Formats: sequence, C-alpha cells, structure tokens
Amino acid sequence: MPHRTTVTTPPGAAEPAAPPVVPEGETTMTATAAPPRPPTSAERPARRPRATYRWSARGFALPAVLVVALLLYVPFVWTSYLSLTEYNGLGDPELVGLAKYQEMLTDAGFLNSLLNTVFWVVGTLVLPVGLGLVIAVLAYGLKASFWYRLPFLLPYAISGVAVGVIWTFVLQTGGALDEALGLFGVTDPPRWLLDAPLNTFVMIAAATWQGAGVNALLFTIGLQSIPKEPLEAARLDGASGWTMFRTMTWPMLTPLTTVVVGLSIVGSLKQFDIIWAMTKGGPGVSSETLALTMYKDTFVENDYGLGAAVAVFLTVVTVAASVLYLRRQLSGARES
Amino acid sequence: MKRTRILAGATAASLALGLAACSSGDDGGGGGGDGDGAALGFYTDKAAWEPSFDAMNEVSGADGSTLEFTGYSDSTAYDSFIKQSFRTKQVPDLFTWHTGSSLAELVDQGLVAETTDLWTQAEADGLVPEGLKDNYTYDGKQYCVPLNVAYWAVYYNKKVFADHDIEVPTTFEEMMAAAEKLKGEGVTPFHQMNIIFEFVWFQALLAGNAPETYEGLQTGDASYLDPEVVEVMDQWKQMIDDGYYNDPGVTTDPQTLLKNGDVAMAYFGTFLTGQLTDVGAKSGEDYGIFPMPSMNPASGDQTVLETGPLCVGKGSENEQAALDYSAWWMTDEAQKTWSSSRGDVSFNPNVTVEDPELQKLVDGVTGGDTTIQQRYLEANPLPVYTLSTEIFGDFVTNAPDPMPGLQRLQDEADTYWAEQG
Repeated sequence: MPHRTTVTTPPGAAEPAAPPVVPEGETTMTATAAPPRPPTSAERPARRPRATYRWSARGFALPAVLVVALLLYVPFVWTSYLSLTEYNGLGDPELVGLAKYQEMLTDAGFLNSLLNTVFWVVGTLVLPVGLGLVIAVLAYGLKASFWYRLPFLLPYAISGVAVGVIWTFVLQTGGALDEALGLFGVTDPPRWLLDAPLNTFVMIAAATWQGAGVNALLFTIGLQSIPKEPLEAARLDGASGWTMFRTMTWPMLTPLTTVVVGLSIVGSLKQFDIIWAMTKGGPGVSSETLALTMYKDTFVENDYGLGAAVAVFLTVVTVAASVLYLRRQLSGARES
Repeated sequence: MKRTRILAGATAASLALGLAACSSGDDGGGGGGDGDGAALGFYTDKAAWEPSFDAMNEVSGADGSTLEFTGYSDSTAYDSFIKQSFRTKQVPDLFTWHTGSSLAELVDQGLVAETTDLWTQAEADGLVPEGLKDNYTYDGKQYCVPLNVAYWAVYYNKKVFADHDIEVPTTFEEMMAAAEKLKGEGVTPFHQMNIIFEFVWFQALLAGNAPETYEGLQTGDASYLDPEVVEVMDQWKQMIDDGYYNDPGVTTDPQTLLKNGDVAMAYFGTFLTGQLTDVGAKSGEDYGIFPMPSMNPASGDQTVLETGPLCVGKGSENEQAALDYSAWWMTDEAQKTWSSSRGDVSFNPNVTVEDPELQKLVDGVTGGDTTIQQRYLEANPLPVYTLSTEIFGDFVTNAPDPMPGLQRLQDEADTYWAEQG
C-alpha cells in the first residue's frame, strides 16, 4: 500500500515543476512510510484517521476486548450480584439487599482482617521494598554485584506455599528458630505463629525473604537507566554518599519506585498463599487478611454472599489504592 | 501490520480455547451405561485411600460395577467441585461427602438419590448397627450409605505408660491422676491442636459430663451458657493451665508425637490407627486404645461415632448401578475387604477387624451400655461449628476466660435457630 505514495520522483528524472499531489487522507501513510526522521512538533500528523481505518482497528481490538469482558468484567458483575444474595453454592441465590455488607462490617473477624491487611500493606512497603532498594543501591556499581544480589533473588523462584512451609519449620514452637535461640540461652522464646499480631509480623518477614530480591532487581534496572552525566556533575560539585542518594539518585529513580510501590500495594492487599500455608489465618481468625476471609467465607463456610461482599470490598480498595497512588505519582512526574 | 495480525490471531485462538474448555464438560467421564458392570464415576476427597478403593474394585469387578476413581486431597476444593458439578450435566455417579448440615444442604436441593430401601434391607440383614441410620436420615427418609465409621477414643503410648508405671485408666479421675503423674515426671500427658480438631476436647468432656446438653446444643434445646457447659470449659482451661497438653504451636503430626512419646495420650478417631501404621507404630505393642472415660461418671459411657457418607448423585448417568453398588458396599463381603485393606473398623457388625486393640474397643463401645454420640463437627449447625473453630482454636492456644466465647457461640446459635423458625 505505501508504495503508492512514496514514489514521487523517478530516479534520474528532472526536478518536478510542482510538488506531487498527495491524495486526501494519505498523509499519515506517507509519514509512516517516510525514512526515519525525528518528527518536529510542527509536522505532527494532526488529521483524524479515516473511518474505515478506525473500524478495522476496532475489529482487531474486539477479540481482546471480548476476552477481557468475558474473563474480568462478567465475573466481577456476577460477584457483585452474589454479594447481594444469600447463597450456599447450591440451588439459586436469594436476593437479600445489603444484608451481607452489613454482616461483613459488623463482624469482628472482618475488622481484624482489615487491620491485618493494613499491617501487610505497610509492612510490605517498608520491608521488601525498602530492603530491595538498600540491596540494589549497596550492590550497584560493585564488581560482581550480580553475585551479591543473587542470594536475595533465589527465593523469588519458590512458590509462596513452599515459602510458607519452609518458614513454618523455622517458626513453629520448638522449630529451627527456637532451637537456635536456645543455643543463646533463650529458654522462653515468643510464640511466633500463635500470638497476634506477632504472627502477622513474622509472616511479613517471610514474605520479605521472598520478595526483597525481585525488588532489588527492579531497582537495579532503575539505577542502570539513570544517565551518568547529572551524577557526574553532582560528584564534581562535591556530592557523595547520602547527599548524593537523597538529592540525585532517589529523585531520578522515581519512575521505577512508582512501579515497585504500586505492585507492592496491590500484591500485599491480596496476600494469600504464605498465610494460608503458615497459619491458615489462625489461631482462630487472628492472622486472617481480607483475601483469606473472602476464601474462607465462600468456600469453607459456604456463605457465597458474604465471601462475595468481601471480594467486592477488596476489589474496590485495591483499585482505589492503585488509582489514587498512580494518579498522584504520575501527575507529580508530569509537573516536574 | 504483520504483528497486529499475529496478535489478533493469538487472541482469537485463546478465545477459541477458552470456549472449547467451557463446552468440554459434555464428553468423557462415566461411560458404561446402566445396569451391571458399569464403570461408575467416583469422586472423593480421600485421595490417599486410592489403594483401598482399588482393592474394592478387585472384589466387585468380577460381577458388579467398578469405581473410576478421582481423588482430591484438598477437601475445600473438593467440596466446591462437587457443588459445581451439580450445576452441569455431569452429575457424579458416586461421591463421598459429610454427614450433618453439609448433607442436609444436598438433600434440600434434591441432589442425592434416596436410599431408604437400601437401609431397610441392610437393617433386616443385620449389616448396620443401631443408631447409625440417624446420621443419614432427613425427614424420615435415608440418603447415602456409610462409607466408613470411626469411633473416637484415647490412643496411648504403651512404653510411656509402662515407664511411668501407669495403668490404663477406666475413669476420668484415674485419667487425671495419670496426667498429673506424667506431668510431674516431665511427660506431656495429652495431645491437642488448634486447627481442624480444635473442638474435640470440648466434645469429649461435654458428652461425658452432660450427654443431654451435648445433644441439646445440636437441636437448640440447650445453651452454651448452661452450667454443664461452663463446667466443661473450666475443666478444660484447668487442664491447659496445668500444662496437660502439648503446645499447640507444634505442627508435628499427632501420630508422630504419640509414637515418639512426646505426648502420652491422644484423643482421636480410629482413623488414627492407619496414620500410626504409616509411621511404623504397631498396635498392641507401641500403642493401645481405651474409650474416653466420662467426666461425670453418672452420665454413663459415651462414645462419639463419626461417619462419612457414600452418596449417589440423583439423575446421574449410572444412578441405578450406583445404588446397586451402594447396597453391595454394606455387605459382609465388601466390608471385609474394606476393613482389611484400611486396617480399620467397619460399621458392619459381622465384620471383625484384625487389629486386636481396635476390636477390643469396638466390642466395648458396641456392647450395649455405651451411648453413641455424633461428632460435634457434623452434629451442629454449620455457622455455629464455623464460629466454634475460631473460639476453640483460640481457647486451645491461649486458654482465655471462656465466658465471652460461649456467649458468642450462643448468640450465633440463637440467630441460627431463630432463622429455622
């Protein structure tokens, strides 16, 4: 198709008297077919693409849109509907209005899950993200820095359930940690997995063990993408160490920090596997998070309506947190 | 352009794949058709029991139907799979389930085939003990047949008892005296755990202290705030505070703890025998079994019986063949094979189990003076049981003041019984 518009002057022909006539609507094609040339703002293709082109673009997008609608929106609408019903997974759901939300919000167990989820969000921001940053910055620029990062990265290859099983061996009463403490004369160690909120904290530590490495990897990529010149200039101005990091490196890492923090917020809000493997949310419901409460309400207690209400709540919180955070970060980036 | 085409193609392919996956429910499975010799689609959450079901196939395969085994090891995933399968055309021919409110749910929806005739025949032939039928009766009709039974009793480590010169207790008082002695000599007397089986000591103590109250809780006729219940919680708390139990933070299996003598006694269903065999402990040599003595001797002997149903999906492809198989399941021939393959007791009174400790227990508890009680988990309304896992789990772990927990349980029970009308 493009050849039609690119052939303007036959090789060896005399200089044409007038510029070639380009048919209406073909300008964009010319632009794309032209040899690479940095576009200037003056010649930005401003005209709207032809209607048939737009329709064919929609045609190409349609399958993807259908998949998303089928796999994401339909289940979400169905879950929202279930949250307004009394349903045990058999027969037909029975509409009960907002009763399930009321039940959810007045349940002490739910409020406890909410608190634990907050612990997880804050804990995950401080530990795996913070530690990841520290590892990346400390290892960056060192000889063989890869080998320093590798041990932190390896646990990421293990599934969350396996991480939970490993840490259960370590943290159970009389487990590896208690034995190790015994060598130092600690005879009455804390009951790591039994007392709340300690059990949530140690599980966040387990998640840190798994997650810090990949954050370090992401931050390293961020560090590598920082242009050398400003840093060099700052160094010439006498900046080094902490000042260098605070005033130069950290601000320039912002785009990556945004991604890492965003992922971490979403990941911690839906934290499930490590907790399920280590305490199943117990003892009682003391270490449950919203994701566990959702699962237990639905599949263990067969209260699909209540589980769906928790799911809707969790979705709203997750989406709201992500949107608010990303919007703030990205608008901040635009301003700067 | 080319890239877009590839992308569009890939999207279309994934869509097609998804649709194919959705519609593939209609083919495969079952087969065989009605009548004798059918291959019955059989689903269970007892994946580890596959060898025993294979053994059953060898006996029934000659002239009857055989099971096509699909085993789950995660019972939550299994439960939701079974529920979902009732929404499709692929209703399972045979599947294992739970008695109590879980079975009631299926019966309410008309999803399981009635087995009243099978039970009438089995009782006439003397294949089932008295009282077992109650677990399978809803509105006067029976559904499903017993897959298995387990009696709840105290397993004890024989070496620990011998080393500390302790006789097998026959009364609650003797058992407490033994616990005190063991504790004094540095041995943890009892096993308990804060998940899955957190309710069992409540069950044992209450059934032995006040059987009518234990039964009354199941029907809404008794309250968690009744003095008999409070007595039980106080007793239980005392035992925890006195250090009679292992730390619930220990996640080692009960069979291993008992075999190693880390605990001297463990209150469990007779399914523990199989688990003890798996870790190399020998019945009669390494461990023995005695019935849980009643906390209040005036209550008489009480034993908790747990039973799991084998159900026929109503409207399943091989429904009649599956019902015939269920009838065969209760016969002496089938139960002898089952009992010897599992090394476990059978509900069929004509079948003796080879393990002398188990046989002694069964003889004792089926001898006539013992009242058979249902297990707390199945006997109580699901919302109350669910809350109890939280309350008792916390109680086992922290032994708090029992009253707030009992109050919450009673509130939940009040709500439930009010809804039932």
